[in-house]
Amino acid sequence: MRDAYIVTSVRTPGCRRARGAFKDTRPEDLLSFILKTSVEKSINLPISDINDVMVGCSFPEAEQGVNIGRIASQMAGLPDEVSGATVNRFCSSGLEAIAISALKIKAGWEDITIGCGVESMTFVPMGGNIRKPHPEAAENNTSLYLSMGNTAEVVAQRYGISREEQDEFAYQSQMKAASAMKEDRFTELIPTPAVKYVQKENGTYVKETFIQDFDDGIRPTTTVEGLSRLRAVFSMGGSVTAGNSSQTTDGAAAVVMASKEKVNELGLKPVGIVKGYATIGCRPDEMGVGPRWAIPKLLDKTGLKLKDIGLFEINEAFASQAIYCINELGINMDKVNINGGAIALGHPLGCTGAKLCGTLLANMKKKGVKYGIESMCIGGGMGAAALFELCDQ
Amino acid sequence: MTRKIRKAAVIGSGIMGGGIAALLASAGIDTLLLDIVPFDLNEDQKNDRAAKNKIVQAGFDQLKTGKPAAFMSSQDMQRISLGNLEDNFEELALCDWIVEAVVENLEVKQSLFKRIEKIRKADAIVTSNTSGIPLRSMTHGLNLKFCQNFMGTHFFNPVRYMHLLELIPGQETLKDVVDFMADFGNRILGKGIVWAKDTPNFVGNRIGVFNSGNTINTMVEESMSIPEVDALIGPAIGRAKSGVFRTLDMVGIDTMIHITKNIYELVPDDPEKNRFLLPGFFDTMMEKKMLGNKTRGGFYKREKNKAGKPEFKVLNTQTFEYESFENPAFPCLEEAKKVKTVPEKLNCVIYGKDRGARFVWKTMARTLIYAANCIPEISDTILEIDNAMRWGYNASFGPFQTWDAIGLEISVARMEKEGFKVPGKIKNMLSKGYSSFYKTENNKNYYYCFEKETYLEKPVSPNELSLSKLKIEDKTIFECESASLIDLGDNVFCCEFHTKMNALNAEIVDFIDKSLDYVDTNGAGLVFGNQDQGMPGAFSAGANLKLLLERATTGDFDSIASGLKKMQTAMQKVRYSAFPVVAAPYGMTLGGGCEICLGSDRIVAHSELYMGLVEIGVGLLPGGAGCLNLWKKIFNNLPGPLARDADLIKIFIPVFSNIAMAKVSTSAAHARSNGYIGVNDRIVFNRDALVAEAKKEVLRMNEDGYTPPIKTKIFVMGDQAQGMISAQFGNMLHGKFLSEHDAFLAKRIAYVISGGDVRPGTLVDEDVILTLEGEAFIDFLKKEKTIARMTHLLKTGKPLRN
Repeated sequence: MRDAYIVTSVRTPGCRRARGAFKDTRPEDLLSFILKTSVEKSINLPISDINDVMVGCSFPEAEQGVNIGRIASQMAGLPDEVSGATVNRFCSSGLEAIAISALKIKAGWEDITIGCGVESMTFVPMGGNIRKPHPEAAENNTSLYLSMGNTAEVVAQRYGISREEQDEFAYQSQMKAASAMKEDRFTELIPTPAVKYVQKENGTYVKETFIQDFDDGIRPTTTVEGLSRLRAVFSMGGSVTAGNSSQTTDGAAAVVMASKEKVNELGLKPVGIVKGYATIGCRPDEMGVGPRWAIPKLLDKTGLKLKDIGLFEINEAFASQAIYCINELGINMDKVNINGGAIALGHPLGCTGAKLCGTLLANMKKKGVKYGIESMCIGGGMGAAALFELCDQ
Repeated sequence: MTRKIRKAAVIGSGIMGGGIAALLASAGIDTLLLDIVPFDLNEDQKNDRAAKNKIVQAGFDQLKTGKPAAFMSSQDMQRISLGNLEDNFEELALCDWIVEAVVENLEVKQSLFKRIEKIRKADAIVTSNTSGIPLRSMTHGLNLKFCQNFMGTHFFNPVRYMHLLELIPGQETLKDVVDFMADFGNRILGKGIVWAKDTPNFVGNRIGVFNSGNTINTMVEESMSIPEVDALIGPAIGRAKSGVFRTLDMVGIDTMIHITKNIYELVPDDPEKNRFLLPGFFDTMMEKKMLGNKTRGGFYKREKNKAGKPEFKVLNTQTFEYESFENPAFPCLEEAKKVKTVPEKLNCVIYGKDRGARFVWKTMARTLIYAANCIPEISDTILEIDNAMRWGYNASFGPFQTWDAIGLEISVARMEKEGFKVPGKIKNMLSKGYSSFYKTENNKNYYYCFEKETYLEKPVSPNELSLSKLKIEDKTIFECESASLIDLGDNVFCCEFHTKMNALNAEIVDFIDKSLDYVDTNGAGLVFGNQDQGMPGAFSAGANLKLLLERATTGDFDSIASGLKKMQTAMQKVRYSAFPVVAAPYGMTLGGGCEICLGSDRIVAHSELYMGLVEIGVGLLPGGAGCLNLWKKIFNNLPGPLARDADLIKIFIPVFSNIAMAKVSTSAAHARSNGYIGVNDRIVFNRDALVAEAKKEVLRMNEDGYTPPIKTKIFVMGDQAQGMISAQFGNMLHGKFLSEHDAFLAKRIAYVISGGDVRPGTLVDEDVILTLEGEAFIDFLKKEKTIARMTHLLKTGKPLRN
């Protein structure tokens, strides 16, 4: 099969659910903006050459429903001929969208595709607006609808990840993110228009737009002591707290991909290549261990060794599961989440897979790393991992 | 002119001022709360509104979070606006009632009133909440118009919960003002009015403080210990649970010293004034800053013992160290435990032979004599004194009621024998052959009037209906041991429960059925009402658990099931009868008591309403149509078009969580937000008027052309709800936030409320829910853990989590 080249990979800032800068900005706006920007940033790419848009979204309902993949591409001003779809694999939805889009190029079915991710957890909360679990299944198989926090407790207890380790990990994530922000290392981040409702002098309200250019969940002043004082939220006497879990966040990201032929024909400037993608299931009650199985599967299929990988983006859904997977695989911590992870930057569910691709490629380029892996755990008990290769500049 | 309180102001945001403001706000009155600007502001702060409001803001913050809650609902807080006496003083000109509750200092009050005199609205009423400063000295030098609109309004702490409001007209106060405040205080604020005169400490605190001082002095004379006094002067003789010294710790030692010194100076001619002088250890405690609860140590202190466990210790008034103590035992208290009523208990203690009994007798005799001697100085009648002690000090019996209970003749004989100086008016009364202060004769209640030297009929407010009075007047239609049907007049009848805590039993259920039949033939409507005297009292604490447990343990499930069916049938009969049925709940309205209210056509509730379906606490669920009727109540709050395509989940969640979490309202306002009280139900502040208001509601409903509701099918959520609850409770169980039994009960409750195994949004017969309710109730009773919960609650009074 031919290669799928990544031409552009960008993201909006990640902003805190309900309290952050995007609390009044609809997900369609975030997504269509980043989609449009990804096309504009792709030098020499004529808009008419784009074939398909695929959008990862964890809860594709209400504001994110009605096939946001099509709605957003229309809102972004892409031609009618550009088709659009919504993809759901919970927390890896964004990566799944990239993988399918890449695969279409590799198979020769398309030449230029865009894989995206979006989630406004403000507008559509975790679990969706109304949960309607299957009555008998919920009664008979309790792990089927187990909350993510509870699965993180299971991982902590089953594999002996202490509260101290989790808080220390969370603290490091915050510190890495804080210095990355200070040093302007988030080069994949595009300042994004956001909406706010402003009261006028006569008491009525107007909708205004402002530009948001940073991730607003980072807490540079947090301390290990402060984190250690937080109460466990999912289990009586447990160890998983709001501080050592990922933040709930709003955001969107887009990745433009093209075939080798199109790269050459149009004179595109690719940054990376999608080398492989693997998913695998695990026990639903310990869904966080997903990367521990997905990464070896990916390496096996792509014929690489762990030592060949220069950088990792392993989604920090919870400190407990991230620590477990990193330790279990024996990954050097210095290669993991060097700009911080979801504990500091947020985990906008369906967006995360697409967002981390941008972060990983930016870091690979900066550090001249040839191979990078992105991986995450997935609700329901799964893991996903993707391998990226840096293009010769 | 028709007086109305459009806006009120309270000046002083301390515990009393704040409490008054919160009560006014809870009663729906916009209230301005003002306090002084702090004295120690720097130049910048003098222009900073927040800095100038610092004191009132601190008072308000305390009010918002203090316990017990001062506000009936958090929404009421919005009715209060804050300000300081510099920037916001002019706003007082907009207020119809201005209450002064500032520091007890004559000069401060005088200068405040001088400022108010200049700006107040022409007919604005100004009152003082002073407890110790004579009104006449406060109004000295103020103009006649001011004095005509000025009087004392003395509330008791905590203002929301204490029933007493002493009204003290001044020399010049207009009758119209006095009448208005009495009506407003009683009807709108729900307080019990006691008429006081401008005498030191008015009625309640004059007798109450004497009683404390006298008890403390007698304690020293009789060499009693602090724990001994608190064991004797408490619930054993119908007094508040906190006894003497724990109450003092709450009040504050410094406050007690201030109050007693103040009154001592104000009553130079009182022959008993020395009883207001406190023993020396009070001054030492003051020096050592052992001021009570506010310094975390007064007469008692909670300290950790060697094992690290908290221990309640008592002060040694010689060494001023805290010591361990055992609960004192006296033979008279043992005897009192064996009997049930307060008069019986009183007799055991007063006429006991041990030193504890002797101490209580000596204390009591002196207080009773003092109370008699205070008439007519502090009030014209014994009613005022008895009411003040019951409503302001939580005593079950006032002094004259106590005196009747221990026998006037026999106690006076003992007093004389032991050298007490019995007042001439009492001897005079006895010589005329009158041997009690209260009596019932020829269907009427009487009290003895010292001035007229005869009995006068006890007045009843036209706003109120007294069930005991109606019973005396032979208005009982029929009765059984647990309940009575009473004629309220105008063809309205009242079904009154009179079991302990008004608990429900099989007899009451039969009685309800019989009452409904009677009213159907002879009446215009029915009220479920009763008038328990306690505070907050119990409309009904629910089913009689003891009887239920007995039957369950003997396996008599068939009779339980048929009893439940009867209750459900009675509740359906209540709803679909051809006449209006109004429930008048107050205080504790739990379990079956709550079900009776939910089953009624309308609720007229007292503002202090602690209502909830608490069955899950003992491992059960509402089985008397409570599940059905709460669902209907909340559903029926929606206007028709909304109800037709309502998102049933929004109805299901509050119904389910009320039942599965045993939510009990903290006020009637809170019960409204919980959904127990609906849009058509009313809230009344004056508890004594509750039955009368319920009767009026029945008449009003008939005037409006009452017809019973159509018995239609109801929408239910079906198994969709069960999936939701299984998933959610599965998570909570996983997180160890609840027990297996909790999860089992909750899921089954969800099953009942959602109509069982039906398609989401199905219309089902009401009987479907009733059947599911009844089946679940019996299934729950068959569970060991439910039986354990019931047994534990009966044994310890506390719920068991298993």
